[in-house]
Amino acid sequence: MKGLLRKVPGKLSETAIDDEIVVMSLDSGDFFSLTGTGRSTWLLIDGSRDRAALIAALATEYAADAALIAPEIEAFLDELGAAGLIESG
Amino acid sequence: MLAAMTEPRSPRQTMELIARETRLRDAPVPLGLGERTAAPDRWLLHGGEFLLRTASGFGFHYQPGAGIAVERPDGADPAEEALWIKGSVYAAVASINGLVPLHASAVAHAGHVFAFTGPAGMGKSTLAAGLARHGLPLFCDDTLLLDLADPARIVGLPGHKRLKLTAEALALTGAIAEAEVGADTAKFYARPAAGECTEPLALALLVFLEDGEEPRWEDLRGAARFARLEDDHYTQALYLAAQRPDRAELFALRARIAGQLPMARLVRPRSAEGFAASLDLAAERIRGWSIEQQGAGV
Repeated sequence: MKGLLRKVPGKLSETAIDDEIVVMSLDSGDFFSLTGTGRSTWLLIDGSRDRAALIAALATEYAADAALIAPEIEAFLDELGAAGLIESG
Repeated sequence: MLAAMTEPRSPRQTMELIARETRLRDAPVPLGLGERTAAPDRWLLHGGEFLLRTASGFGFHYQPGAGIAVERPDGADPAEEALWIKGSVYAAVASINGLVPLHASAVAHAGHVFAFTGPAGMGKSTLAAGLARHGLPLFCDDTLLLDLADPARIVGLPGHKRLKLTAEALALTGAIAEAEVGADTAKFYARPAAGECTEPLALALLVFLEDGEEPRWEDLRGAARFARLEDDHYTQALYLAAQRPDRAELFALRARIAGQLPMARLVRPRSAEGFAASLDLAAERIRGWSIEQQGAGV
């Protein structure tokens, strides 16, 4: 299956504090604080889902229309990809 | 085959180690370390050794296992020497031996440490000493050494510095003046009114002191705790120079502290009334913490 999203090994460190996740790019030193849907999205990036499957899983989790949440999730995934934190293969 | 299990160093053993490593001896002190020469009042850390040469002529050189070599200028001021040794030199020895120095003053309550941090002049010492008015003994002044050997908890080592307060802070806190600090500091060594704790204890809370109009307490949650440790005010230059952690190691250190140590902000005005109110607020929260812990069966 192609397009499966995964975190890039060796490129990041992450930690959960209370109900937030802090992720750091080891290349740039930039931090991302993930809460709410950002946190849920991050937790679903485990190498088993492509973008469509991830959006479907989030739609189920939040009882939302997948088409409605897709643009925001796509933009967030693009941001994580541009930061070098995730890749699809 | 069974692998040998190594017990982490206990806080008591760590205290004994630091006591051994900070023993002083009169001995020649080098002008530099490695290829670098020490500039006046600027420390050097190289190959696990520490060197400091002061503009006033003191020299301090630490080598692991050999303690601290001291060179004194003619007419050396013992008050100044004590400040250097209990300040940068002690923090360097602690850092080289794996402790994390935090710029904080702290009190003890219910077998735990409650620490107050902030930039220089923010009132850390005065607040910690003032909590004696609520019966809380002082744990440390100005520098809190964190022992991270036990992965399950963060332990603070009791203070190695004598409490130093201005005349105004003495009046505010009820601490008893013992001697002038000297070395042009305009401070007094003082005995806190509720005594001092000398046992290593687990940390319960780290409070960031801030100026503001009204006394206010705000718990810090999530990434805000992590971000606080990124603040330049609290960067531990000596620890970073001694341990040279890479980005991932530094992240792991801050993640551990942020994850294991509850944090809060204490905002208060700089006035006698504001000080009294902030003492009441801090004491109430500290006592409230121990009541919560008892309720949770901890």
